[in-house]
Amino acid sequence: MKIIRYQNSPLYNPATCFTGLREEMDRLFDVAFPTLSSLQREGGFLGEGLGDFPIDLYQEKNAYVVRAELPGFRKEDLNVEVADGILTVTGHQKTEKKSDEKGKDSSVATQERRVSRSISLPEHIDNDKIGATYENGVLTVTLPKREEVKPKSIAIDVK
Amino acid sequence: MNILTKKEPQTATPRRTILPRYDVREEADAFTVTIDLPGVERSAVETAVENETLTIFGRRAWTPPAEWTPLHRESAVADYRLTLELNRRVNHEAIRAELSQGVLTLTLPKAEAVKPRKIEISG
Repeated sequence: MKIIRYQNSPLYNPATCFTGLREEMDRLFDVAFPTLSSLQREGGFLGEGLGDFPIDLYQEKNAYVVRAELPGFRKEDLNVEVADGILTVTGHQKTEKKSDEKGKDSSVATQERRVSRSISLPEHIDNDKIGATYENGVLTVTLPKREEVKPKSIAIDVK
Repeated sequence: MNILTKKEPQTATPRRTILPRYDVREEADAFTVTIDLPGVERSAVETAVENETLTIFGRRAWTPPAEWTPLHRESAVADYRLTLELNRRVNHEAIRAELSQGVLTLTLPKAEAVKPRKIEISG
């Protein structure tokens, strides 16, 4: 006996089943815990200074490239630091929001958003040549490798 | 990490989509929806209202150059799609959208009929 029609179920198509399931789960969580996502957005859910954001690390011939998704920041609110082979990306934003009730004494609410992530870099990099750009809410940090760690061809005498 | 996506041509139509993080706020005469679309350029955002459904699609155009080796990946290789059912009357013609540093802000002005109206009691 068939009670449920499978044809239109997102779980039926093996190519998209996990996407559908994930979206469904996301939606379910949004509905069940509506405050959770907004808390996470403000970095409050994970505690101060522990907000999370995805980071990607790539290796190029002469450099490492780190891309971090940090939507909605101002350039000056982002901070990139390298110490002891560890890269730390911090975002700290304070927004003052005036209540838009006209005429009445406007109360100012300060909203703080703090995020931070650290990743260890695979090998030593040239600290003086680190560059960073922020575009479309994505922070890209380019970390050139130090001269001596770049692959060199060494002639070996074969006896 | 998905190895297959790297080979996918840029124009591939049925790419995996994920639900972006979003927030809806109600103000006196409008609803404000903020949607996180990191990595999406202005030209890659499509917003459509059909009947009472608002659809936002954001295509992530950036792909790592072939000679880059991914050592660690956390971001999703997917486009963003969000469908919102408008269960409140909104003035479709007056919807505004603004994209700034990966955050899309949609302003949906309330339809005149549902705006709070103070009615004076006479007599």
